[in-house]
Amino acid sequence: MRLDGRPVTWSGSDEARGAGIAIILQELDLFANLSVAENIAIGNPDLESGRWVSFAALARAAAPHLEAAGLAVDPAISLGSLSVSQWQLVAIARVLALDARVIFMDEPTSALTEDAVERLFSVISRLRSRGVAIAYVSHKMSEIFRISDRITVMRDGEMVGTARTGATSIDRVIRDMVGRPVEARRPDPPRAAAGETLRVEGLSTRKLRRVSFSLARGEVLGIAGLVASGRSELGRALFGLSPVLAGAMLLGGRPHRPAGVRDAMKAGLALVPEDRRQDGLFMRMGVRENTTLACLRSFATAGWVDREAEAGAAERELAHSRTKFAHAELPVDALSGGNQQKVLIAKWLLTKPRVCFLDDPTRGIDVGAKDDIYRLIATLAAEGVSVIWVSSELPELIANSGRILVLHEGAAQGILPSASAIQEDIMRLATGRKGAP
Amino acid sequence: MKPPGGSWGRTGRLARPFIGLLLVVVLGIVLSPRTARGSLIFLSPGNLTDILMQQGEIGIIALAMTLVIIAGGIDLSVGSVLAFGASLAGLLLVRWTPAVSGPAQVAATIAAVCAAGALLGAVNGVVITGLRLPPFVMTLASMIGVRGLTRWMTGNTNIDFGFDAAPSARFSDLLAQKPLILSVWAVLAVAAHLLLARTVLGRYLRAIGENERAAAFTGLPIKAARLFTYVACGGAAALAGLIHAARSHQGNPNDGVAYELDAIAAVVIGGTALAGGQGTILGTVTGTLVLGVLTNVLRLRMVDSNVELMVKAVIIIIAVWLQRRGRSPASP
Repeated sequence: MRLDGRPVTWSGSDEARGAGIAIILQELDLFANLSVAENIAIGNPDLESGRWVSFAALARAAAPHLEAAGLAVDPAISLGSLSVSQWQLVAIARVLALDARVIFMDEPTSALTEDAVERLFSVISRLRSRGVAIAYVSHKMSEIFRISDRITVMRDGEMVGTARTGATSIDRVIRDMVGRPVEARRPDPPRAAAGETLRVEGLSTRKLRRVSFSLARGEVLGIAGLVASGRSELGRALFGLSPVLAGAMLLGGRPHRPAGVRDAMKAGLALVPEDRRQDGLFMRMGVRENTTLACLRSFATAGWVDREAEAGAAERELAHSRTKFAHAELPVDALSGGNQQKVLIAKWLLTKPRVCFLDDPTRGIDVGAKDDIYRLIATLAAEGVSVIWVSSELPELIANSGRILVLHEGAAQGILPSASAIQEDIMRLATGRKGAP
Repeated sequence: MKPPGGSWGRTGRLARPFIGLLLVVVLGIVLSPRTARGSLIFLSPGNLTDILMQQGEIGIIALAMTLVIIAGGIDLSVGSVLAFGASLAGLLLVRWTPAVSGPAQVAATIAAVCAAGALLGAVNGVVITGLRLPPFVMTLASMIGVRGLTRWMTGNTNIDFGFDAAPSARFSDLLAQKPLILSVWAVLAVAAHLLLARTVLGRYLRAIGENERAAAFTGLPIKAARLFTYVACGGAAALAGLIHAARSHQGNPNDGVAYELDAIAAVVIGGTALAGGQGTILGTVTGTLVLGVLTNVLRLRMVDSNVELMVKAVIIIIAVWLQRRGRSPASP
């Protein structure tokens, strides 16, 4: 490694930081129990000097960086009370405070809403004009082509190639990433089959306000909305994790009032949570054990697991979702993000749900795995499962849903058929600006 | 895509506790005094089975402690529950004159003591899962409370078991037998191993200890599973109390102090993560043996018992360090 032409070796991250190198990790390395200002100051030699901490001074020092990152929160509140998207902005503000010369950003937009992404891009261009070098890792082609000068493609730990952004194309980069030409980018948008599976009437919870929609057998409903719009809350309410304050849910014509997760599962619901590491997977447990955990009882007699039946079912479901892994006993921690996501989806499909809620299943995974997930959604719909899924990326949501429900601040802003939906309309609804068609 | 544990792999990870055992056994052979005829006392069958028997009480408690720790908990009350079990046995055998007597009284005592221990464990479990008290705090409280209960119900006196035909003496003769203690321990170890490795409940315990939030999102019966571990731990501690009473020929309300620390040490030396989620019964049995062999070796050499404690401390640190080596640093 060379920095400014001189060879460098570092024995720890603090040395690299001292040399002016900073990194924004995909899995955020922040402290939920500390305040926003403390998170920004921690590990920062300029803000952390001395033995005593003045919280007021910290908040004052943090404020301009927060503003630059586009986060309007009180620096004194605890990080734990913020959303994933806001965490990401805190991570960005923290790196800004470091005043680094080289910044690595690993999927910085994976948890960001579109307006926050815009703000990040203006931060990046400001940094660039100050002479900061930025390495930006992303799976999102539009972002890469918009902000980069050069693009390097890596696959399986090897560099496939580097090209000036102007001299290459999206198709070329995707081809390099996948290692094979991707012909049909997306399957046909699924059609709605007859018969209503789920009806939600005036549903209100702590974070939802009178949401109504109906979902047919084999229909794919996409949910669009900013991160705090209540899109995850909808899944939690359906799954009995968030108390229903008003309104009703009907599942297969019968009232659906789950007292908890097990109730909801019995009624035929599955929820693939947004945060797969925290809420979904058991990172140190094996692939097989993760896959079968939600319906382990069905492979057991009198509490005794039939290991062959279990392994067989896991293998079939994982093959179905095209999960790649070296060995079924490996901890899921050893898999790539995309394959982890597929294990999580396989876990829930194994419960044979009637309604499947996928909360941002394509967040932070590679193009190939995204394609596999689109295909899974289409297959599920073809098998008669009703799918509700959330995505922060509108093009994929439009391409892979029958209809799109737009949420803003917990309220439904409209349901658009995806055939005629355009991104601008959805964004307008999602940001609360009325006047869509 | 290398499994964490690096070049050790899966077998390596399983083998790690045995390295510690191997080391202390070698130490035993090297340091063992010889008999007049030149053979090693350490390796004599009598000595080896003595080690097993002396570790029986800690061994049985450590099995249940493994379940508690794997599910993300801890139980500090086992030493007090052991004394409670021993004292209750004394009360039932010596101070109680039941309608039935002889073998029936012994059997009733064994059943009643185990049930009472399980009940104390259930109190721990209900408070921890129901009121969401941290396990450390609740079992610390019951460690203190149960000790008080035990002293109060015995008037803080030892209950001697007497001799000859008294039911207490019969009980003592029965439960102090080497083969019986070893087979109870072995049977429970196999049962606990199968529970963890082969049953739905065992899988749930590991999942809950590894990631409670994900367990909730998966609809696992978190409270019931945790409650089970504390009930098992209370029952095991009371059973160990019965053995303790039989071996010491008395019910002493002040025994069993710091047993919880020995049991936890055995579990930890055996490779079970204190943070929950990971661990094996095989490891715990090995960890128990490491402590047992070490104590035995030092006593054969007539080493001061205070020095013994210091050596134990060093061994715990080395054993756990050996297991951590090669493990990848904490995940981000």
